Amino acid sequence: MANGDFYFAINATFYYFTERWGDDALVAYWQAMGREYLAPLAAQFRAGGGKAVARYWADYFAAEPGADAAVSHTNEDAVVIEVRDCPAIAWLTRSPEAVLHPPPHPMYCQHCLHINRALAETAGFVFTLEGGGGTCRQTFNLREQAAVSGSQEAAK
Amino acid sequence: MIGVQDFIRYYDWTFEYVRSEYGEEALQRYWGEAIAFNSQAHANGLIHAKGLQGMAQYWGHTLESEEAGFRTILDVDRFRIDMYDCPSKGFLISLDQEEYHDYCQHCMGWIKPIMDDAGFTIDHEHNHHGQCWWEMHPSGRARPAAPPPIRDDRDVRLRPNWEQEKHDLWLQSRPSEDAVQ
Repeated sequence: MANGDFYFAINATFYYFTERWGDDALVAYWQAMGREYLAPLAAQFRAGGGKAVARYWADYFAAEPGADAAVSHTNEDAVVIEVRDCPAIAWLTRSPEAVLHPPPHPMYCQHCLHINRALAETAGFVFTLEGGGGTCRQTFNLREQAAVSGSQEAAK
Repeated sequence: MIGVQDFIRYYDWTFEYVRSEYGEEALQRYWGEAIAFNSQAHANGLIHAKGLQGMAQYWGHTLESEEAGFRTILDVDRFRIDMYDCPSKGFLISLDQEEYHDYCQHCMGWIKPIMDDAGFTIDHEHNHHGQCWWEMHPSGRARPAAPPPIRDDRDVRLRPNWEQEKHDLWLQSRPSEDAVQ
């Protein structure tokens, strides 16, 4: 039931939150989603480690209409998702009915950051996001590994 | 990311989030504003421009793409849907998920404002088990505030599992207890 028109509902929901309750309310909604709605997924990630994270996102992007993304499990503790063409941004800007709808919400790409950061924290990972607007790089690092990398960077 | 493959679960969770954070009335407004006139702008445009024909066009396409079990009837004075197996509600039932207590209510929540605006009234009933019927009529024509007769042998009300413990009935776009007799 991966109907691309559902992206319009997602985008409309983001607009509604900021217009009625403000930007902070939208961020709080995303954080709650990452912590609460995705709690079972966090447990799955915690149990299965990087392999489970990589498998989940590879399957996920494969099932989204029009997605172009590559998921790599670079080492035991890090998963990198290269989104070359975000299915949501593509649908909201290039689908036949996009012209009838508002453009992607100005904060649209931030939902990945806030939801995945909350999800990752619960699962014992650290999430980072670079880019946006249809192409981005998302990384899940096991928290211990991220701490080691951070201290090595600091020592340089 | 929030994708469309698990949209129904996320949507149901969002209903309960809005209700618990902002109240039931806020949820009704969310359906009646954000979903009706933003998310469903394409439905709104078709129904305003083409009336009953636009409804047939919109629901024919949407329900087919969602692989729903349904049929529609377009008549000169009404448009009817019989939903035998709602993909959204059916999906939630299969997962035993019920974050918001009345998921089915969201359809009336967004469809009614569009119909009000476009000059149509709704008769509707759902049984909370993935089955419902809808009839949209042009406003302003005198009709009894009563469920329509069984339309034919494909009327969902003849299905053996139609009768359930709880049904919600709307007549002339109002909950049946408020409908004008």
